[in-house]
Amino acid sequence: MTEPALAPELEAIRSQLPELVARLERHAPYAAVLATSTSRLQAQVNNREERVSEGERSRGAVFTAWNGEYLQEHAIGSLLPGELAGAADLLAREITPRPRYPAPDPGSPLEAHLALPVQIDPSARPARDKLEICQRHHAAVRDLDRRLVNAQVTYEERFEAKVFANRTRLISQSLVRIRFRIMLFASDGQTVRHDWIFRDATGGLEIAHVSDDDLAALAAGTVALLGAQRIEPGFYDVICDPSVAGAVAHEAFGHGVETDMFLKQRARAADYLGKRVGSPLVNLIDDPTAAGGYGSYCVDDEGQLAAPTTVLRAGIFEQGLTDLYSATRLGIPRTANGRRESFTHKAYARMSNTFFAPGETPLEELIGGLERGVLLRRMSSGMEDPKGWGVQVEANVGEEIVNGRRTGRLFSPVGITGYVPDILASVSAVGNCLALDGGNCGKGWKEWVPVSSGGPHLRLRARLG
Amino acid sequence: MLERVIQALEGRPGVDDWLVRRVRAESTQYYLIGKVPENRRSARTEVLEIEVHHDHPSRQGAPSRGSASVMLLPDELDRAAERVDEAVFMAGLADNPPYGLPGPATYPQVLVADRLLLIEPERVAQDLADQLLSAVSHEPGITLASAEMLLDRHVVTLRNSRGISAEQEDTSLLVDLVLLARDTATGQETEAHFEVRRRALETLDLAAIVRQQAQYARDTLRAREPTTGRLATIVSGDALQSLLTGMFISPLVFRSAAQFKYQGLSPWEIGASIYGDAEVRGDPLTMYANAILPWGTRSAAFDGEGLPGRRLLVIEHGVLRQFWASQRYAEYLNVPPTGEFGNLELSPGSMAFADMWEQDGILCHVVAFSSMTPDPVTGNFVAEIRLGYERRGHELQPIKGGSLSGNLFADLAGARLSQETVFHGHYLGPEAIRFPALTVSGG
Repeated sequence: MTEPALAPELEAIRSQLPELVARLERHAPYAAVLATSTSRLQAQVNNREERVSEGERSRGAVFTAWNGEYLQEHAIGSLLPGELAGAADLLAREITPRPRYPAPDPGSPLEAHLALPVQIDPSARPARDKLEICQRHHAAVRDLDRRLVNAQVTYEERFEAKVFANRTRLISQSLVRIRFRIMLFASDGQTVRHDWIFRDATGGLEIAHVSDDDLAALAAGTVALLGAQRIEPGFYDVICDPSVAGAVAHEAFGHGVETDMFLKQRARAADYLGKRVGSPLVNLIDDPTAAGGYGSYCVDDEGQLAAPTTVLRAGIFEQGLTDLYSATRLGIPRTANGRRESFTHKAYARMSNTFFAPGETPLEELIGGLERGVLLRRMSSGMEDPKGWGVQVEANVGEEIVNGRRTGRLFSPVGITGYVPDILASVSAVGNCLALDGGNCGKGWKEWVPVSSGGPHLRLRARLG
Repeated sequence: MLERVIQALEGRPGVDDWLVRRVRAESTQYYLIGKVPENRRSARTEVLEIEVHHDHPSRQGAPSRGSASVMLLPDELDRAAERVDEAVFMAGLADNPPYGLPGPATYPQVLVADRLLLIEPERVAQDLADQLLSAVSHEPGITLASAEMLLDRHVVTLRNSRGISAEQEDTSLLVDLVLLARDTATGQETEAHFEVRRRALETLDLAAIVRQQAQYARDTLRAREPTTGRLATIVSGDALQSLLTGMFISPLVFRSAAQFKYQGLSPWEIGASIYGDAEVRGDPLTMYANAILPWGTRSAAFDGEGLPGRRLLVIEHGVLRQFWASQRYAEYLNVPPTGEFGNLELSPGSMAFADMWEQDGILCHVVAFSSMTPDPVTGNFVAEIRLGYERRGHELQPIKGGSLSGNLFADLAGARLSQETVFHGHYLGPEAIRFPALTVSGG
């Protein structure tokens, strides 16, 4: 295992940042700066084309000042020392003191460089290797069935380096996020269906691997979807796979405990702190330190060291997820969930890796105990409703179960909707595995940040359509 | 900076074609929680994207072309030549059939930049906040939970090895607002969350949006779960836009793309019905890819590779007339290059909105989904109903929860489109569509 070093362009300005913060604090009771450098490389192969190319890169910094009532920020797309000083001075001139609320707590003194471990460092391998990984997987899967009309294999690496400074803290971090995705398309001449395997995680090139057995299962599963039907709407006993369970965790309760929503009076969960909202079997955690989680980090974008937060313990709402502003205004302890899409975006309270904790029941026992129901696999989308406590999750595949056995009858797609406390209260068994599914999460319809969600298999009752 | 990069590209070994795109962006952002500011911020960035095309024999010895992009940031100008070499190396790894780049063209005049947003974004942001607070104060039982106003200015400069040299300035504004309604008798609260993207102030009627969203928030207080069944359904307004355009790519745009035809993912054929074998019992669709729609949020004088913006007839009376295509996929499919899709424009239908309500039994009308993301490949959709109405005779009952599902292509075959049209940023078309029967999963 190795740990990526801080990008040289950030190392060069790291020591300058505390002085710029001090300059701002001559005009404001609290100031901070976040400097970032990100780069991406993407390789893709499908049946007709291939490409390897750099993705979006950015370098820049955002200066933050608390004027006593609200935050003022200026972001600039440069890491040149003179430009940074100019941006800090520009913000200093714009600060309008308005003493009204207490200033944010800068935290206990800390100076550190932190990194997430990498087994095979992608930066040490040429672009050719990454294209070859895609070509190899593509060759292994494309001809597994004549009904496969296209196979798309995508590799993406994203290097993230950041330095945060306020008057007590100077913390830098480096990490690599890998997305490795195989998507198959099958057609019978009239219908096109698709299914996928995603391996999204923090780490290195070791993540970009799918076994031949898994590829064969994916090909067979995609072709089988050609016979899938739409499900008869109604309430069903359901087993959610980890990706669907994770989406329930993320959409049903995760967004609703982001405490900026409390401040906006948008979260019903605010009235349930310390109260039961789910089955005693339900434990829900947000953990930016989860090993390999696609949403992992060492420190959030507001200088708070990453640590797990138990959101639900035995069905009782224990703690929300905060950003600096909402924690300060609400007077509650901070968690490491202040995140930005990039330096050009403001920070919000956001999830990291959000999952149900595993229980003790093996999957086959969950299935065996189901008289009639549906096994839901492969989350494809979801949406939150923190005020109404509604939930929407879409699964790509539903598999019928009758008398404890899979019948082979498939449904696609399948939507889960319902009232969050009803769904969480209906959890009647929790599987004994734990898997995380990576992706990008928006706040409403924007502000995309890398996250993961997951859990074990869950048995619950829900409305499907 | 641009000239230095072009110097580095011209005559560089391995660079057989190139394109450089510089984007300078400025953003002014204002955030409110209730009536109190949360954050006032600004951002300024500049980035230069260099795309290199490299011709080489494929692994099988056939003529082939690869392309790769690299980004050059303002503090990296001295690395321009090195970055070009990196792009050439990556482009040399990929074997694709040869294709060309567009040449110079006459670009249309398109309304994409609002002068007020260009010169006084801070004042506009403050004015929008004041308008919003004023509009909310006139709505009984309604408070503002939060509002976000983002005003952006972009200057895009494009050059390529075939002689294109173009520049465009545009503006955009985004207002994200959340209204709360409270039932004083029960203490129950509901919200309406709405995001609107526009290019110009003259296309944004904030007071009207607040009026409508306030009514939705109040109606949500009275909403119950919908009835389960196959129901005649009207989808209108924001809900209709999300059904037709999707969050990322519309199924209609996906299937009419030369790229996805080339990749074997679109079953559509030029001259054939987009409904397949399904009998068309509704208003057959006529669709334009309109990249020159005045103030369209996806309008532009030229697209990302320099093809001129245009209004292109894609589907006429339910029959595919043309794929929209970039230069590369146009050459692969031997169809004309048309440029990026732009805004989705549908011709009006034959039915007045007011006549859509005739129904024996239950009629479902959806005005907001939680998140509608129809599958671009299959056209299947399922989404939670954030707010709708059930009409039984003269009785109108707000509904929320449950889901609406169907298949866009199959269900459009029987759909009636309204005569009235609306403009929603990147959609111009019928205000409402009535489907003979969609599946509602309710209580």
